[in-house]
Amino acid sequence: MAPSKPGRTRTAAPVRPHQFPFGGRYAAYTLFDATGLLYLLVGFVALRVVWALGSGQAAWQEMLRQLGHPLYVAFHALCLVAVVFVAVRFFRLFPKAQPPRIGPLKPPPRPLIQAMLYAAWLAVTAGLALVLGGGLF
Amino acid sequence: MADAQKKTFVVTRFDPDRDQVPKTQSYQVPCQPDWKILDALNFIKDHIDPTLSHRWSCRMAVCGSCGMMVDGEPKLTCKVPLSDYGDTLEIEPLANFPIIRDLVVDIDGFMEKLVSVKPWIVRAKERAVEEGTFRQTPAELEEFKSFSMCINCMLCYSACPVVANEPAFLGPAAIALGHRYNLDSRDEGDALRQQVFRGEGTVFACSYANECSEVCPKNVDPAAAVNQAKFRAVIDWATGFVVPRGRK
Repeated sequence: MAPSKPGRTRTAAPVRPHQFPFGGRYAAYTLFDATGLLYLLVGFVALRVVWALGSGQAAWQEMLRQLGHPLYVAFHALCLVAVVFVAVRFFRLFPKAQPPRIGPLKPPPRPLIQAMLYAAWLAVTAGLALVLGGGLF
Repeated sequence: MADAQKKTFVVTRFDPDRDQVPKTQSYQVPCQPDWKILDALNFIKDHIDPTLSHRWSCRMAVCGSCGMMVDGEPKLTCKVPLSDYGDTLEIEPLANFPIIRDLVVDIDGFMEKLVSVKPWIVRAKERAVEEGTFRQTPAELEEFKSFSMCINCMLCYSACPVVANEPAFLGPAAIALGHRYNLDSRDEGDALRQQVFRGEGTVFACSYANECSEVCPKNVDPAAAVNQAKFRAVIDWATGFVVPRGRK
């Protein structure tokens, strides 16, 4: 936060908050930002899976076998935890990020917006589980 | 003085004429049960060490002058009771600001950012006196009222991890105040402020730590303002393709 031009008095350098990045409330924020690393790794895994898909039946079967390795399972479980964590934080933010008015319309109360987000999340999850589980197609 | 309890204050000291880096100095202060932290600092200055420098003014949490780090958290020292703390307190100048002397920080950087968002009513053409006053409904006032409560105490800047790492970031208070005027029905300066909000100190640098809202002593909720400002910035960018510039 230094000014664009230095003042007449010599100043000491700014000090960052001592608790940053792993103390107090900052721990949750740092974890939130760190989930970006997991998304990067998921991207690489997705590329590898797509590559296997395009390389023939044998490569695809081998890819499926590798994805069953305990390390891959643990990685994907960690990704699930990260996605849930990010979703909960986003659902906390989303209601207060709404504009106070869009034309003549006001947004619903914040608890109702949050409830709608969680309901939509559950509905999409249930729908996907039904489709991927072979219940519909 | 009834029931005075001795507390130890570990205070950051920095004299630009003598010190290369800040250091700490401890003071034993006989504190009354109903004191705020500012009362103890004023006692130190009045009775123990008159060289201690710190800012304060109103003593009632409306001027924003007495912001400091208390045990690592940004607080208004006139508002926080000593009874909330143990026998030893660490008092430091606000984080993320250059230190002029002791507990006094250089706020010029913040003032530059505040002025850049034009925190005043901007009109394309000033209203003539004969046209009368502006009329505003309670609902229109409610849209921006919480953001107008900001007292520029800069606690939010001290708590924000983005301010610590990206000096160009406009910061919570400046964005909240700019957004307050964008929401004001009397204002016509949205387009001007959008250039700032999407410029070098972009609102999109905010990564939602929410620390600004956690520490705000006036419940302004700057995190809400910043994220609403992001929403408006996206709408402004998108509508810029179909709507001529120069609108409100």
